[in-house]
Amino acid sequence: MKVQASSPQDNQPSNTTNNTNSTDNTTNQLPSMDEHVMRSMDWDSIMKELELDDDSTPNPLKTEFTTTESAIGPLYAVDSNLPGFPDQIQPSDFDSSDVYPGQNQTSGYAFNSLDSVDNGGFDFIEDLIRVVDCVESDELQLAQVILSRLNQRLRSPTGRPLQRAAFYFKEALGSLLTGSNRNQTRLLSSWTEIVQKIRAVKEFSGISPIPLFSHFTANQAILDSLSSQQSSSPFVHVVDFDIGFGGQYASLMREIAEKSISSGFLRVTAVVAEECAVETRLVKENLTQFAAEMKIRFQIEFVLAKTFEMLSFKAIRFVDGERTVVLISPAIFRRLSGIGDFVNNLRRVSPKVVIFVDGEGWTEIAGAGSFRREFVAALEFYTMVLESLDAAAPPGDLVKKIVEAFVLRPKIAAAVETAADRRNAGEMTWREAFCGAGMRSIQLSQFAVFQAECLLEKAQVRGFHVAKRQEELVLCWHGRALVATSAWRF
Amino acid sequence: MYSAIRSSLPLDGSMGIEYSDGTNLPVDACLVLTTDPKPRLRWTSELHERFVDAVTQLGGPDKATPKTIMRTMGVKGLTLYHLKSHLQKFRQGRQSCKESTENSKDVSCVAESQDTGSSSTSSLRLAAQEQNESYQVTEALRAQMEVQRRLHEQLEYAQVQRRLQLRIEAQGKYLQSILEKACKAIEDQAVAFAGLDAAREELSELAIKVSSGCQGTFDTTKMTVPSLSELAVAIEHKNNCSAESSSTVGSPVSASLMKKRYRGVLGNGERLVMGHEAGWVMPSSSSLG
Repeated sequence: MKVQASSPQDNQPSNTTNNTNSTDNTTNQLPSMDEHVMRSMDWDSIMKELELDDDSTPNPLKTEFTTTESAIGPLYAVDSNLPGFPDQIQPSDFDSSDVYPGQNQTSGYAFNSLDSVDNGGFDFIEDLIRVVDCVESDELQLAQVILSRLNQRLRSPTGRPLQRAAFYFKEALGSLLTGSNRNQTRLLSSWTEIVQKIRAVKEFSGISPIPLFSHFTANQAILDSLSSQQSSSPFVHVVDFDIGFGGQYASLMREIAEKSISSGFLRVTAVVAEECAVETRLVKENLTQFAAEMKIRFQIEFVLAKTFEMLSFKAIRFVDGERTVVLISPAIFRRLSGIGDFVNNLRRVSPKVVIFVDGEGWTEIAGAGSFRREFVAALEFYTMVLESLDAAAPPGDLVKKIVEAFVLRPKIAAAVETAADRRNAGEMTWREAFCGAGMRSIQLSQFAVFQAECLLEKAQVRGFHVAKRQEELVLCWHGRALVATSAWRF
Repeated sequence: MYSAIRSSLPLDGSMGIEYSDGTNLPVDACLVLTTDPKPRLRWTSELHERFVDAVTQLGGPDKATPKTIMRTMGVKGLTLYHLKSHLQKFRQGRQSCKESTENSKDVSCVAESQDTGSSSTSSLRLAAQEQNESYQVTEALRAQMEVQRRLHEQLEYAQVQRRLQLRIEAQGKYLQSILEKACKAIEDQAVAFAGLDAAREELSELAIKVSSGCQGTFDTTKMTVPSLSELAVAIEHKNNCSAESSSTVGSPVSASLMKKRYRGVLGNGERLVMGHEAGWVMPSSSSLG
């Protein structure tokens, strides 16, 4: 982990050189950390290669890693026009864990002794990775020990994005360890939980463009695939592997109703986890009611994920003459044991369009190679998401806490679980699987691009931008892809 | 949509580019910039004429450079970038004009370059005019296409904005209604639990009454404090007898409580027939203790 005692007036480029110097210092003291991890944790160089648009925009992530002798006071000349970064401007907001005494010592981290004094800094990152390593090498007792130390260090999800992300990842590791000790049956959500989740989704959609970008881009891809037809409007059947609370279909239904697409008919098959039984009923009720209000003929069926794992697409009812649209997110890949099989089975149902919405950094994370690398990649990804949340959220912690607790934390837990479960190790990436099966990407329409840009305008959060990456339309946060949507066909 | 361009533009210096629907764009000596997100320069014929003048002054498009043209034209806000691309187009335009016109070809070259051998000024002028005309046509065509494209984009963007707003509203409305439904479910659940609490209260009251032995028919020595289930049965009976409408409270309470065996609270062995809905009937004999 990089540590540096740089003076606050350093510009970013010179920070990088300082970083490499101190990296060398610290590397000597980290016999257990391998080079690759250090490199992958080289946030600064990662930032550099991402070509930050505005060099004068301070990267809040950088401030996590650079400290001063005094450790108090703004670390960079802050662009005061930036909304949502109050932490950087008011030094008094620094919580105690941001004070790093003794950081300027080269021996700031006593890496070698397990019972090191908490020098602050980013030892929690090392400890997290140590836990990960222990899990990988099946040293569960040792993992528990380090984890309990981490529990002291990271007590609550407060502070910088990285710290909060570290907290959630620590929690995820914790349940991973306890889950491996006993058979954890997943419980149904209580109504209180459900209300919290819906509220979190609602708040998140209201402040950050992330959820709406995912939904609307996918919807537009669906609409585009339907409208490129002759006058006949065949019925559309959407197979959705990640329906959530069904919000996406509200706007899709609206379009269908207004433009008489699909002859005013929509059929959805949602593949859901069995612990979501309560949500499922709620979603069915609400979507059905909404469709009735929109005067759309609507049908929705649910298929258990377990059933799908066994039977694949045979578990789903298809009707001749319907246009099939398949909506995929990383969630389904987690549960499958072979993506190649999935894609082959997918071909057999002859979908009109397959839309892949990657809102979990899956493209970067999966296929990173090992639990540790995937863990680090995921940590990086969600730190970015939290950063963007900081920028988007209104002042005060409440909204952020709700969104983090009920939207992001479950995703983090799932990501850690998947990374730990190495059954898909050595698998090809989803893109390789798609291309290998002969799928071709469909260019997303100008409408979709405009829509995304328009959405960002409305969201009014600086730092987001829309980009095209190969065949994907990507929502980026400071150059880092947060959501990548692409459309495919056979 | 471009077919309505007239074959020749008046050279009398009338203003503007004419559109197929007859509207004119106003022209003045200043630059006309478009209003879309990326402000682009409109090469009006006025501006273009100044450009051509400048180029001629500088010895032709091959000799003139964007820099020198900029200085010569002296138009505020004109950048090298604008001039570079326009000059390139001009050169290309000249090429095609060269090829299309036969006689005027040499003449036009002559007109532009400095080694002019011909002295017939009138034919020169005519040729120059023709060449200028056809160039202007090409330019106008391009300009029109450009403007049309940008207009189209703007319209599309405006359309997207509108649709996006509707979509956002739809989604918001849906989330609101599902949130309300979920909240209502909590309330309903709370009511059910409140009912359960109320039942429990009644039962404990009954237990107190019973244990204080105020009922004469009881054999108090053998009396044990009745279990919740026993009391629930009594309550249920009471409820049923008083023909209270069965609320959602009634069923879960009775259903769960009736799992326990009845122990005959009312020690006289009175057979209470109740809970027929649950399909359960108590034994007639009482067994206390």
